[in-house]
Amino acid sequence: MSAPLLEEFGRGDAREREESWRYSKTALRALAQQDYAVADARAALPDTLLEQFDWAATRGRRVVVVNGVFSEAHSDISGVGASVTVGESAGNAYSIRIDGDIERPMHVVYANVPSAQSSRWQANVEVTVVSGRARVIEQFIGAQGESVLGSLRRRYDLADATQLDLVSLCELPESVAMYRLVEARVGAKARLHTTHVLLGGRLQRLDFQVDLAGSEARLESRGVFALRGRDHADTQLDVRHLARDTACDVVWRGVADARARGIFRGAITVAQGADGSDAKLSNKNLLLSSSAEIDTQPALEIYADEVKAAHGATVGQIDERALFYLRSRGIPLAVARRMMVTAFCAEALAGIGDADLRELLAQRVQAVLPAE
Amino acid sequence: MTGKENENMLKIENLHVRVAGKEILKGLSLEVKAGEVHAIMGPNGAGKSTLGNVLAGREGYEVTQGSVVYGDKNLLELEPEERAAEGVFLAFQYPVEIPGVNNTYFLRAALNAQRKHRGEAELDSMQFLKRVREKLAVLHLKDELLHRAVNEGFSGGEKKRNEIFQMALLEPKLAILDETDSGLDIDALKMVADGVNAMRSPERAFLVVTHYQRLLDYIVPDVVHVLADGRIVESGDAGLAHKLEEHGYAWVAGRQAPAEAVAGGV
Repeated sequence: MSAPLLEEFGRGDAREREESWRYSKTALRALAQQDYAVADARAALPDTLLEQFDWAATRGRRVVVVNGVFSEAHSDISGVGASVTVGESAGNAYSIRIDGDIERPMHVVYANVPSAQSSRWQANVEVTVVSGRARVIEQFIGAQGESVLGSLRRRYDLADATQLDLVSLCELPESVAMYRLVEARVGAKARLHTTHVLLGGRLQRLDFQVDLAGSEARLESRGVFALRGRDHADTQLDVRHLARDTACDVVWRGVADARARGIFRGAITVAQGADGSDAKLSNKNLLLSSSAEIDTQPALEIYADEVKAAHGATVGQIDERALFYLRSRGIPLAVARRMMVTAFCAEALAGIGDADLRELLAQRVQAVLPAE
Repeated sequence: MTGKENENMLKIENLHVRVAGKEILKGLSLEVKAGEVHAIMGPNGAGKSTLGNVLAGREGYEVTQGSVVYGDKNLLELEPEERAAEGVFLAFQYPVEIPGVNNTYFLRAALNAQRKHRGEAELDSMQFLKRVREKLAVLHLKDELLHRAVNEGFSGGEKKRNEIFQMALLEPKLAILDETDSGLDIDALKMVADGVNAMRSPERAFLVVTHYQRLLDYIVPDVVHVLADGRIVESGDAGLAHKLEEHGYAWVAGRQAPAEAVAGGV
């Protein structure tokens, strides 16, 4: 029943797809049972969505995509400078080319706006970093209403000795589902630093594949999912060390409350010849309710010599001793629980240089728990 | 305020407490007046830590009988955070490490939550830091501890001094020290005692739970109680602590309930 969506969403052959969707099969099937119209690209953005992304700090450096289509009206790239070129081709396909340092981040917003009936959109985006150091903030948002299914494929191509810092915040209402495929290629001595935050959503699936293609290429992947209600988020990270002396450092944290469902699979492959590689993966998860569920699966495959590799994954509950300690000093239970969740996720957000942005993300993450 | 020092701050009557299905406190009664320092001594397993935990409101401590009145309130009905805001403070025997929660942030959140509960204005960061610096100096703690996570990587002595530092900052009415002296060297012990003595006042009471008499050389109690097998079996003045040091706990158990002591030992 879910065959059409399964074919569309994911990588590899049929068996690999089937396997990678094993924890989200039911959620995907439910999506597949709906009929979808093509999402309206000219839909007006409700004020609630405008407020979510209209940050003073990124005015003039913002690209807004509404239901998969570049929005002339909401985008403003007057301040990005000569080093950034935004291109558009037919079929909801876009390219962003970065050639030279950009001091202040580009802000790319993907808005899901519901129609009168269930609708879906698809888009392809290619980001090429030709030279220098770039910063990009991606934001996925959505308005509550009839269901919307968004599907976005992106390629990040980092030329040798370039650097990209990507912060990706995906915060969806329960009527929106998103599939995201991110394929990144990191050249020699290039560095990709990513921080993904996944909040809400009927189903959000992130397939993130990174090829460390040139020697001394480096990936730092940070991520947090914080889920409540019946949220469902599934992240499948694949890192492939394809060249000598490449390094990856993966730190992901997951939190699930109520009846939420979180999945994290972190697979690292060190290919033959990628000698001297260094792979680290840490995934820790926190269950806040007995009805929540988190599945974590670290996987390491090593075909090279002189490789350093370490991985660890845990699923646990909030430390009741610590909670009592905080309360015994006068901190109300709800605040103490939020403090614990924030602390738990802090390591995964620590790498964000911009303190305001880091604080914003920490606040969004702790909002998974009610304030009182 | 006149005569306040003669009022009962804490009145525990016939308290029975079960932990994991086992009765630990078996009819404990105790009265503490404002301004007094009471020491609770006793052998291992007598229920000393249970007493501290049940007063602070820890989960898993089931009160099956008896009452605890604090001021004019039924203490057992209050949440742990409400007890704290009403002035109850427990210095933990084993302070908890909380990675990721900054010490300064934690202390300010705690102090302001208590102030808010009492209808007092919250302190801004300047006012807060001024107060923090004053108290740090008393405990000979380094500023640097403020920037670390709560108790994370603290030495045993630092953890215990940090408890007393928190007590100094939060200015409770009833402070319960649960074996704060265990694992402390003599210098740290003196610092802890200085911290406590500096806070002694007619409005404040202390319940000092300890296994050894040593701490009581520095914090001289008004009353010493011996807790054995879930009850107070003997009470006296500071001299009682010295007698215990000399004769051991078997002596008290023997005086109080000879038949039981013979049957069960201590």
